[in-house]
Amino acid sequence: MKILWFVISPLAALVVGIIFLGLSRRFMARIQWRYGPPLYQPLIDIMRYFTQKSVSHGAIFDLGVVLSLAGSLVVVLFLPFGGICPLRGSGGLLVILYMMLLAPLGMALAGGEAANPNSSIGISRKFALALGYEVPLLLIVLAVMTRYDSISICEIVAAQRAGLPGIATFPLVLSGFAYLLIMPAVLGLRPFEVVQAPQEISSGPLAELGGRYLALAQIQHALAMFIGISLFVNLMWGGASNPFVFFLKMLVVLAFGLTVNAAFPRLRIEQALRYLWRWPTLIAFVGLVLVVVIGR
Amino acid sequence: MDRNQLVKWLEAPAKMSHKYSLHAVYFCTGCGIIEVPPVITARWDAERFGVLPTATPRHANLFLITGYVSVKTLRAIIRTYEQMPEPKYSVGFGSCPINGGMYWDSYNTIKHLDRYLPIDGWIAGCMPRPEAIFVAVTHLWTLIEKDMADGYKRYRRDYAQYRANQERVLGELEWPPLFAAGEDV
Repeated sequence: MKILWFVISPLAALVVGIIFLGLSRRFMARIQWRYGPPLYQPLIDIMRYFTQKSVSHGAIFDLGVVLSLAGSLVVVLFLPFGGICPLRGSGGLLVILYMMLLAPLGMALAGGEAANPNSSIGISRKFALALGYEVPLLLIVLAVMTRYDSISICEIVAAQRAGLPGIATFPLVLSGFAYLLIMPAVLGLRPFEVVQAPQEISSGPLAELGGRYLALAQIQHALAMFIGISLFVNLMWGGASNPFVFFLKMLVVLAFGLTVNAAFPRLRIEQALRYLWRWPTLIAFVGLVLVVVIGR
Repeated sequence: MDRNQLVKWLEAPAKMSHKYSLHAVYFCTGCGIIEVPPVITARWDAERFGVLPTATPRHANLFLITGYVSVKTLRAIIRTYEQMPEPKYSVGFGSCPINGGMYWDSYNTIKHLDRYLPIDGWIAGCMPRPEAIFVAVTHLWTLIEKDMADGYKRYRRDYAQYRANQERVLGELEWPPLFAAGEDV
């Protein structure tokens, strides 16, 4: 019976992620006063990619795409989705932080093997950006772990559901605010859309991916969106008792990210780093110190 | 538009997804590109029909050549077309790629694009209005539905001829032939 959840949980994340992709295209269209594509347009695109002839650039190219998808699927197993959490007793937040780097690593391997200069620029930007948002993210996660005295994300969710959600309690409100500030960078949305940047470096790491590879990359993108939002809802907003309420909470966070995405132009990478290492890091650090001094 | 008919999706999912997910590479030659931004932005909103601009030919399956083709850009056009994954559809936009248009006498533009690349359809006019792109897309849907948008198959079948035409204009090409001689479709 338990083994069934190992199948259901990634599938649910996949469905939610693809709904998010469709919703985000629709949402952006409505902001720009367009009708926009139907909700199932990402599904049509993925079907087309799968049925097209694809060009491989070598063994590492194939393995890199698979590695990034597998890394995202493994992270999903550790994240509670409503009541569903298949890997309840395992390493928790620390493992999630490690595993979250597998996806960009796989994309970097694939893009490097393709030897397209645009891919290389995209990869170096991706790792610089990851360096930028991982510092505040680590401080935020440390604050949450110290506050609830646990590294298990399931226990953190349970502790929040017994009392108030994390973002509504005093020292953690700073960490929650810092997470909201780095949210577009985690999701790769527009002020920090430096990695793909279609107008600038023609889709960056994805530039040489066609056919089936692009389909896998698109699915990975959907999962990455799920992971970034789900981590916030679990750490800061107390998760939920059932998947439906969890989905609604994720929708609110997604709407916030997309509004930011619609309002801001793209930053240069050094502007992005300057921003990420200044305000979010400062706020997250103050939050961590307050949690250590008075919070527990 | 039969995008909502579930039966057709179950009968031929590949064909239906190729119809309703036309991601386009716009090759910005000449003045035709002026008409494209209104098509893809808020005024006409081509994304309603699944038509979306992409930045790289690997993601695309629709190739729009918008305007006159000089000898120098023909080289880039051929390389872009050959990088797109099959099945792929190409559309010439405006009168210049059809027969040279107002550049008929020019020493440096080619006149008939379909001698160098297989073209699935033309949009005539100088300039065509943005609506003409939508008309072209609906025609392309019909062609895909009836398996008549077979430019990529013709390119495989008659590759020797196309290659000879390309080499006559461009001289020696610096990339090897895409398909080996005598390869079947």
